[in-house]
Amino acid sequence: MKITETIDIRFPKTLAEAVRLQASEKTRGKLLAGGTDLMVQWAAGVPIPKRAVSVWNLPELCAIEVFPDRIEIGAGVTHAFLRDAVQIHRHVPALIAAAATVGAKQIQARGTLGGNAANASPAGDTAPALLVTGGSVLLASVSGTREVPLAEFWTGYRQIAARADEIILAFRLPKKGKAQERFRKIGTRQAQAISKVMAASRILVEKGTIRSAAIALGSIAPTPVRLAEVEAFLAGKKLSPKLIDEAEKLAQATVQPIADIRSTAEYRRWASGRLVRDALENL
Amino acid sequence: MTKRTSQSVRWVGQGMPRVDADGKVRGTTRYVNDVDYKGVLHGVVVRSPVARGILKGLVPDPAFDWSPIVLATAKDVPGENVVVMHDRTMPLIAEIGAEIRYRGEPVAVVAARTPELAAEAARRVRVEVEELPPLLTLQEAIAIFKATPEKLDSMKSQDIVKGDVATGFAAADEIVEAEYWAGHQEQLYLENQGLVVFPQKDGSILAEGSIQCPYFPVHELNDCLKLPPEKIRVRQTAIGGAFGGKEEYPTMLIGYAALPALKSGKPVKIAYERNEDILFTTKRHPVWVRYKTGVKKDGTLTAIECDFILDGGAYLTISDVVMFRGILHCAVAYRCENVTIRGKVARTNSFPCGAFRGFGAPQAIWGIESHVDAIAARLGRAPHEYRRQIHARPGDVTPTGQVLSKENGSTACLELALKRADFAKKLKQVSRGRLRKGQRKLYGVGLAFFAHGSAFTGDGEAKFKAKGRVELARLEGGKPVVDIRVSSTEMGQGVHTIFTQIAADALSLPPAHVRFPMADTGLVPNSGPTVASRTTMVVGNVVHRAAQDLKRQIEAFASLRFFQGAPAELRASQLVAPGAKPVPFAKVAKALLAEIGPASGFFQFELPADIRWDQATFKGDSYPGYSWSANVAEVEIDPLTCELEVKRVTAIVDVGRVINPTLAAGQVEGGLTQALGYAIMEKIGTGKNGLYDAARLQTYIIPTALDVPEYDVKFVEYPYSFAPPGGKGLGELPMDGLAPAIANAVEAATGRRLRQIPITPESIFAALHAPQGGTP
Repeated sequence: MKITETIDIRFPKTLAEAVRLQASEKTRGKLLAGGTDLMVQWAAGVPIPKRAVSVWNLPELCAIEVFPDRIEIGAGVTHAFLRDAVQIHRHVPALIAAAATVGAKQIQARGTLGGNAANASPAGDTAPALLVTGGSVLLASVSGTREVPLAEFWTGYRQIAARADEIILAFRLPKKGKAQERFRKIGTRQAQAISKVMAASRILVEKGTIRSAAIALGSIAPTPVRLAEVEAFLAGKKLSPKLIDEAEKLAQATVQPIADIRSTAEYRRWASGRLVRDALENL
Repeated sequence: MTKRTSQSVRWVGQGMPRVDADGKVRGTTRYVNDVDYKGVLHGVVVRSPVARGILKGLVPDPAFDWSPIVLATAKDVPGENVVVMHDRTMPLIAEIGAEIRYRGEPVAVVAARTPELAAEAARRVRVEVEELPPLLTLQEAIAIFKATPEKLDSMKSQDIVKGDVATGFAAADEIVEAEYWAGHQEQLYLENQGLVVFPQKDGSILAEGSIQCPYFPVHELNDCLKLPPEKIRVRQTAIGGAFGGKEEYPTMLIGYAALPALKSGKPVKIAYERNEDILFTTKRHPVWVRYKTGVKKDGTLTAIECDFILDGGAYLTISDVVMFRGILHCAVAYRCENVTIRGKVARTNSFPCGAFRGFGAPQAIWGIESHVDAIAARLGRAPHEYRRQIHARPGDVTPTGQVLSKENGSTACLELALKRADFAKKLKQVSRGRLRKGQRKLYGVGLAFFAHGSAFTGDGEAKFKAKGRVELARLEGGKPVVDIRVSSTEMGQGVHTIFTQIAADALSLPPAHVRFPMADTGLVPNSGPTVASRTTMVVGNVVHRAAQDLKRQIEAFASLRFFQGAPAELRASQLVAPGAKPVPFAKVAKALLAEIGPASGFFQFELPADIRWDQATFKGDSYPGYSWSANVAEVEIDPLTCELEVKRVTAIVDVGRVINPTLAAGQVEGGLTQALGYAIMEKIGTGKNGLYDAARLQTYIIPTALDVPEYDVKFVEYPYSFAPPGGKGLGELPMDGLAPAIANAVEAATGRRLRQIPITPESIFAALHAPQGGTP
């Protein structure tokens, strides 16, 4: 079907204007950034909202700021911008790698980090890489800004912790420092691919011992998830082939993936462990 | 610019740019959805909500305003409710009280001034069906066949028998037996299905749209619409890809649109969006094929026994012929004295399968080419060495008894592919399940070798007698132009360009003088459908001969008019006669048009008189000619994830005379890429709800540019000399063999044989972790 329903789209010029619109049920609209998820969903029959509020190019959402210990990436920053923002690559390399696997160049030019997070698909490409930073999300409303840890942000299948009056402002992400990051996506093909399984990791190894490990997977649960049991198992242990074997098996025992059109539960379970192996073997 | 001699003006064999390139590159080409049809109604098909049941009623919602809506049901079918394809079983539209046989079977058509209103009206028709248990998949049908073969509901069966397989098996040292599966494949043309039906004052209809075979509906809708062929006129608009998907399906679409059009007297357009197009149009037939082969220690194939069963879906439509082409390709490429092939078309409660590039041959070749590797492995022979021994070559006799002529470049294809791919050396590097020193990924190389029969099966072309004209009938901008009048359609494959080249050479005129208007059954004779890898070989010959006929007429006129009866020849755009000053073609043509009127060259295709074919026994010359190919695929499999990457493909191709090397190579690469998708990505099946389970571009995965391997495509030319300029079939051949080449490469990489495509990371994982995977 062609989309012919009318939709009232507001284009606020500032964040202040946008949060004011969202504050009242009368003016509140579906938040629309690059539209790369929403437009496809609407074309596929998801009911089209009466009102939308565009946050595309809102100046407050488009900045990347680098602090001594962290970086803050505006929710409106596109995947293409991230991919090409070489000055931050060394701080969040997994996120950059993830952004470069979103759709293809055209999608990357419109899709935003905030939109990817808000869409809350378990297969959202940037979510695992965000999760392993241990960072947080800044949510703005008329009552101010609040900070929600990323670990608490995705609350269920396509559910996020933001209230209806809140707009994702930015992601506050600790720099990786001496830790090593890795990202790997198993997709359906080389481009324009939704993941079957993907993993991001941030692991700090000192003198052969794992000091801390953060490992997150996408497409294996209703939300992107951290592998807390595997992380706890690895912390403080000497890196060895045996440890890697055990971590792989533990990951496979931990996850509860489902079968769908893209993959099988068995493969996802196996591949989850394989990607944990991949993260550890490349330290 | 220096003046060319007549010898130098040869357009055939040159990579001339496409004649339709300009509009397509600039975006000015108008497809059916680009045209603003004034006063047209938009049609939407109302469909069965279940896969099987008895249609009890159609209840229009009384709360809905039906006054602006045209609602057509089976009651509005003017004649007998049947679409006449290869049988008379399929109604155009289901009738109350009749059995619904697949999910989405049309039960009504609504039409309204806007697509939205029509869609709303379609939703407001309640379709009442008393459900019956469906049989949805080939897997279920094959389970029945294996338990009790005669219980399989086969819509058409056909055997090929040569020699006696019992004798062959008795003489064998080894018996190798295995089964192979392949699923549906979607054509995924860029432009969705769409057409418009205009009712005419005299009761006839004119249909135009994205239609691959304009003459099909002319002869398939007569009973149903109660219209003789001359009252059904069909013409193509620019076609954005078809691949067989717009071969027989548009007949039904014309029928659906014709009902509200005839009822209302207004033109009706039906154009599908992508989701509807994938859900409710034809796919490639799924196949189950079982080979049992007998082989001597020295490699001699003593017997090939084969069961080849296609999933036809709910109605036969054209599936019998798909199965025929399938069984004719099950064993044609190898030497064997004793062959029995049994083909069947299983009926399931799924959408009727239909034409798709290859037309049964890719399914057959998927099986045999996997199986030949399995036989070689059993014998301890290298796959290429073994094929060198047993492959068919000139003088050999096919399973139907056809003696292969000298015009078969089978050996040349095989040898050049092995050489260019450096196959023997690469075979030594394959991983067989364990990384070799220096390898980070499992490496495999695989070979497939195959033929594709050109043109209609058997004596089809002899009976059909393709007709065509080449006309000198008009001036364009004051200059005379020659029109090619055949029913072949341009759908992206390049026929407008290569026929322009053929006509230009035959007339000794530059291509700038030649036009190829789009096919219109009101204006062109029936040169047959644009299918079966027949166009270049058969219709190309018709164009060549008809252009020669026109050339003779122009020369005869020039002789009398300009050369006092001296014999004249049209050569390099001039009429020349001995001892006389040449006269430019344009001057002669204008004089001819002014003084006599249009001239038309005509030809009707014939096959050599000694062609023999018995349709009842499937004995004789099954195709007028064969194209050949050998494909080598190199793959890498990541042992970490089982992800598969096809790195390099070598394809050596004998399609006879290559008319346009640039377009031909492009068509080969395109076909290989479509075959790549078939082999490793494209997965779609009938779900439990009776609908295809991957009906969006998000879920139906085809290769992107980044998935395409490095291609090495080369031609060897063994022309079909009976029909100048000597092309053989090209369109389908590149689709035929890459899947088994990849499966053979995967076997070499992993040590496991995968007998179902697509081969995905999931299936490689499952094979590697199965307790006993992969024999023989």
